[in-house]
Amino acid sequence: MFALLVGHAGPALAFEDDEACLMCHKYPKMGRIDEDGKQKSYYVMPHVFTKTVHRNVPCRDCHKEIRELPHKPLSTGVTCDSECHSIQNPSTGKPFSHKPIVDTFRKSVHGREKVATGSDADKPYCVNCHTNPLYNAKEEKPPKHIVDRCVVCHEDSGFAEKWYNHTSRRIREIKRSPQEIVEMCSACHADKGMIERRQQVAAQEGRELGRKFPIAVTSYEESFHGKVTKYGNADAANCLNCHADAVNYYLSVHELLPSRDPKSPVSSQKRVETCKQCHVRADSNYAALDPHPSSKKEDNAFKHYAELIYGIVGNSVLVALVGLAAFETWGRMRDGVSWRFREGSSWWRRTRRKSNRIP
Amino acid sequence: MELSQEARDVVQNAKRHNRVGADEARDIDEVIGLLPDDRSQLYKNVDSNPIGDFYRYSIHIRIQHLLIFSTFLLLAFTGLPIHYHTAFWAEPFNSMLGGLEVTRVIHRTLAVTMIFAMVYHFATIGMGTLIKWRNRTFELRRTILPIWKDISDFKEDMLFFGGKRAVRPEMDKFMYKQKIHYFAAGFGNTVMVVSGSTFLFPDVWASILPVGIASHFQEMMRLSHPHEALLALLVIAFWHWYNVHLAPGRFPMQWTFLTGKITREHQIEEHFHEYLRCIVSMPEERRYLRTLMAEKKIWGTQPRE
Repeated sequence: MFALLVGHAGPALAFEDDEACLMCHKYPKMGRIDEDGKQKSYYVMPHVFTKTVHRNVPCRDCHKEIRELPHKPLSTGVTCDSECHSIQNPSTGKPFSHKPIVDTFRKSVHGREKVATGSDADKPYCVNCHTNPLYNAKEEKPPKHIVDRCVVCHEDSGFAEKWYNHTSRRIREIKRSPQEIVEMCSACHADKGMIERRQQVAAQEGRELGRKFPIAVTSYEESFHGKVTKYGNADAANCLNCHADAVNYYLSVHELLPSRDPKSPVSSQKRVETCKQCHVRADSNYAALDPHPSSKKEDNAFKHYAELIYGIVGNSVLVALVGLAAFETWGRMRDGVSWRFREGSSWWRRTRRKSNRIP
Repeated sequence: MELSQEARDVVQNAKRHNRVGADEARDIDEVIGLLPDDRSQLYKNVDSNPIGDFYRYSIHIRIQHLLIFSTFLLLAFTGLPIHYHTAFWAEPFNSMLGGLEVTRVIHRTLAVTMIFAMVYHFATIGMGTLIKWRNRTFELRRTILPIWKDISDFKEDMLFFGGKRAVRPEMDKFMYKQKIHYFAAGFGNTVMVVSGSTFLFPDVWASILPVGIASHFQEMMRLSHPHEALLALLVIAFWHWYNVHLAPGRFPMQWTFLTGKITREHQIEEHFHEYLRCIVSMPEERRYLRTLMAEKKIWGTQPRE
């Protein structure tokens, strides 16, 4: 209230808040404890929001349920396939919407609705992956000489800056690093609870899960690709390099398919082509190599027993050699040898065999 | 000393190879006859230079050993952090070397150097064998190749260590332990080179192997490379370093890998057949033995003139 009275509260707003949502949502303490006892924050940081991809979208384009201020508690969340009435798609002139890509996503192995029920709750929704990152976080302002050129015709320098950020981000393909992609996929696929639930659902439905599904992350980490990716190599395959189609990558990451689907890049029909993206000499033999190696008996009995035999042989050899060394030491010490040279010989200890070195 | 049949054969061959005349042959037989029956009396009473007394390894073998052990250790230090990449020490180690990409380049460069050392070694022993063959001085028992006698040597040595036998067996230039070690290293190196090549050229290996084998072969090689490396490292740490550094009588180290020479007491104890060759080829050694046995009165029971 004090802020309203003095007409200023906090930093200057960097986007047009025509709907006056920030009148309340600019306060950091704006929040509540819900019915489940969880803390929920409704605080919107204007200086952060103004750098997000949605900064030009009026709040109520997504929060459609709100008709009045102050509004009532909302019962439905935001879905990503709604139409933005205020933003036009410049290529079609129609209201902008993510609906086409959401429809594609629905057909994928991850497909689900915003409010998911049952086993679908384990699947990711848009915001699980799209965390709405900041534009060019390291580059606050576009280069002056570019903005200077733009404002010759586009008078609003703010528009030029936004346009620059929007396009340069895509031209430079600022996207997740391979490590971040692995981390993102692992957030769900390494979750044992999720794996068990999906296995139960598949069993109930009589549906077959991929053989590697339960060990997708651990086996990838053990693989050559996983190891070098972990250490920053950007050339080795990450999850999406194989599981998404490289031909139309940005669409394909939204329509990931199970490996048994012939359209999947890792299906037996398309695997050679997928391998050839990097391994140009790859053939059907090469495509048969296991990119998710594991030594689990149920996954790869050959490797399981080979590793077991290796372990037994290796340990036996070590025990035998150390034992031999100890036995030899004992035997030779009884013969009178010592651990150092004295008077041109290391045989100066007295022995019971009466064959000592003669002084 | 009454020589065994094998030892007599060794002396006979050594005399032929050294074109020993009748007088010298008599001298050799006489000195051998003077040696004490209990060979331990001999190796316990001789004087040895810790740096080495008798020539054993050529400069080529020493260079090869230097190349192999330096590349082997560095390969282990660069390879293990790659394999055990999740261990707490792996990441700092890789970072210290400049990151995984640098570690990989170092690892491959060292691997090529090791392969060069292997080729150099095969060329050396191949040429050496050819020359000996041409000069008719080649003796199978003197090579590193395993022979049946190694099994009886091993058995007799175990009996000696257990106190059931008075003296160690008479062994040749390479004893059973060295043969085991040499072939283990040779096998290990081959496994490492082949498996390493499957990492570098997986598509080439897949294309030349039948489809039913290609995947299992790759899996075996991926399993073999770290297992063999770790086993080799532990064998080197626990056994080879024991044998050449820590064993009583060898401490703090044998200088053979630098000087190419072995001590007198060591050669008599573990490589007596090779010592017999020294007696045949080195008149000064025979003179030394005569003096030693006269001084210490350790001659054998054979009649002395």
